[in-house]
Amino acid sequence: MQNVINGIPLWWYLFVAAALFCIGLYGVLARKNAIAMLMGVELMLNSVNLNLLAFWRYLAPGSQAGLAFAAFIFVVAAAETAVGLALIISAYRSLRSVDPEKLDQLKF
Amino acid sequence: MDVISNLLKILSDFVADLIRSILGFSPFLADLVTMGLAAVVLITFAALSFMGLTYVERKVVARIQDRVGPNQAGPFGLLQPLADGIKMFTKEDTTPASADRWVYNLAPLVIAVFALASFAVIPLAPGVVGTDLNVGVFYLLAIGSGSIIAILMAGWGSNNKYALLGAFRTVAQLVGYEVPMLLNIIAVVLIAGSMSLIDIINHQTLADGNPGIPHIVYLPLAALVFLISGIAETARSPFDLLEAESEIVAGFHVEYSGMKFALFFLGEYVNALAVSLVFTVLFLGGYAGPILPPYVWMLLKAAVVIFIFMWLRGTLPRVRIDQMHALNWKFLVPMSTVNLILVMIAVKLFPTSEAAARAFGGILVTPAAQALILFTLNIIVLLVSLSLASRAARKQRLAEAELLERRRAANMAAVAP
Amino acid sequence: MTIQQVVFAVLAVAVIGAALFVVTTGNLFRGALMLILVFFGMAGFYVLLDNGLFAVAQVMIYIGAISILIIFAVMLTRGMQAMIPRNAQATGAAVAAAALFVAIFLAFGPLRLTVDFSAVPVLSALFRTETARTLGDVPWQYANQPVPETYIADFGRALVNINQYLLPFLLIAFLVDAVLAGAVHLARQRKPAELIAERREIAEEEAEEAAALRGAASPEPLPQGAMAATTTQDH
Repeated sequence: MQNVINGIPLWWYLFVAAALFCIGLYGVLARKNAIAMLMGVELMLNSVNLNLLAFWRYLAPGSQAGLAFAAFIFVVAAAETAVGLALIISAYRSLRSVDPEKLDQLKF
Repeated sequence: MDVISNLLKILSDFVADLIRSILGFSPFLADLVTMGLAAVVLITFAALSFMGLTYVERKVVARIQDRVGPNQAGPFGLLQPLADGIKMFTKEDTTPASADRWVYNLAPLVIAVFALASFAVIPLAPGVVGTDLNVGVFYLLAIGSGSIIAILMAGWGSNNKYALLGAFRTVAQLVGYEVPMLLNIIAVVLIAGSMSLIDIINHQTLADGNPGIPHIVYLPLAALVFLISGIAETARSPFDLLEAESEIVAGFHVEYSGMKFALFFLGEYVNALAVSLVFTVLFLGGYAGPILPPYVWMLLKAAVVIFIFMWLRGTLPRVRIDQMHALNWKFLVPMSTVNLILVMIAVKLFPTSEAAARAFGGILVTPAAQALILFTLNIIVLLVSLSLASRAARKQRLAEAELLERRRAANMAAVAP
Repeated sequence: MTIQQVVFAVLAVAVIGAALFVVTTGNLFRGALMLILVFFGMAGFYVLLDNGLFAVAQVMIYIGAISILIIFAVMLTRGMQAMIPRNAQATGAAVAAAALFVAIFLAFGPLRLTVDFSAVPVLSALFRTETARTLGDVPWQYANQPVPETYIADFGRALVNINQYLLPFLLIAFLVDAVLAGAVHLARQRKPAELIAERREIAEEEAEEAAALRGAASPEPLPQGAMAATTTQDH
């Protein structure tokens, strides 16, 4: 088989990544807590990274495109978490709640 | 002589051969068994040195404080660690009623695992290393962050105010001091040209195996800051405010008893040992040394670093939390950043390899000349930042004195009839 | 069954199980710990993909930074522990996520269920190509070669090469700078006078609102209670 590395075909990785993405999607859509929603976003970003690195390994291990995008996702995920959590905590201080449905005022 | 100096290598090769050829395992299974054995040996080494270190530390600190230290159990109190172990084993294992049971019980295990995991990449002698990762230095830093998680688990799982406070303090300290540590490791990686710990040692060794110029000569400032942040990372005195006994009882492990407490203790000492070994590898030339076999050199150098840790613990008072963070963010981080940028420029301007000189230009120099340039640069940065800091401190002191004086005058005026 | 396959299977089960726990649990602290398990599993996958650099970076960034931030946020919003974990659209979200997963699996999994666009009336108009495009029939070209020894150095050079990724690299650096500045701004120690003025403003507004709600004609002067209530937060 051509598309098997270390005994693992590519679609195994894609399967796990797809499952993680869908679980993360469910987390973002169905959770009532903003921090839990952020955790779902992290799951989705991780699944994307797994996809990128799997494609890098199987299709183009000599190129840097997959690595570069994965690295940028690392940085963006870190920045997004920092800002997101700062916002959530400052909202919690004002409203005593992290339920995104309660964040319905333009000013607080 | 050769047999003695390569003792560890010969032993490990012998065991590997034994497993592969005599027991007739498949190559893969043989590798697995060899790796498992190596892991067991490394962990035993770490655990044994933990026992030895507790004894040595108590003796050294006792000497510094003009006491005798443990002297009842066995000759010179040598059996004290054993007595401590028996005591720990027989203590009652308590769990707070309102603790998060899973998290509470998992935390000591996690901290011990992460402390021991750092030994996987530290080379103890030529050819004797768990695995030679080409990102070894990076791996060490990443593993270091795992113990933070364990501390948070312990603090939260105990469901105790003091434990949680201690955990918060710890995380602020450990996350903060990772930054100067990283910045100075990058400086070492820059001049060694590799993140593999073996390559870093090779850069400090001459071709014939004799010690060359250790990195502490290239980068004295980086070595100093690494040592300070290493002490903070292992939460030893004077940065031990996360378990400040007199302020927050014992910090995050206040609720732990018996063997679980011993695991935290083990994690602490093993981390200190790992930091001293890493310091030896990064700055003191690792196992390179004349006459004595390499593993003896490695342990000797590490012992000197550990002795410095104990010395500091015996002599310095604990710093305040704001002082600790101010030292990190207002002094160490800016100084390290400036130092790193200057080192970058100097390494590009004065390369030691011909290929680099041809590719990027610059003046080709010998390693000794590069070391001299970098040494001067480091000392200049250190002196300038020290003078800046002392000027700022004097200004602040004067302002505080003036404020006090004004308050005193106001008080006197209020009291006066 | 090679050892890598066994490792993969163990990692996959652990990661997916932990991820399911993360999105369903009511105990957010344990959810965050399970999220760490997911991150570790991803690092394991990267090792299986012969990419040690990203495995270590994953541990360093996700476990050393992101999960600690998340755990801190969970601790700081402790009042939210008893919250119901699901909102009203949970069932719909579950169905949608499952449907997406099934669709991805059918199209790109081993079955490669193909849909000929040219046979579908609307899609054939959209994909006006000579060859019949089919969903799932992706012409992946497997390189079938090992990872070069120098992939870390190559990657580093690509990041600072003006013809490759220098611009995105600089943009990312700006992003991190901006986030750093924002974090400093949020965490900045504000002067007491500034804080008092802000709290007075808030207290006045609250008093006005309360007065409006009560239907009182004249807003009270700054009530003593409001100030006391706000000063208790000052620690």
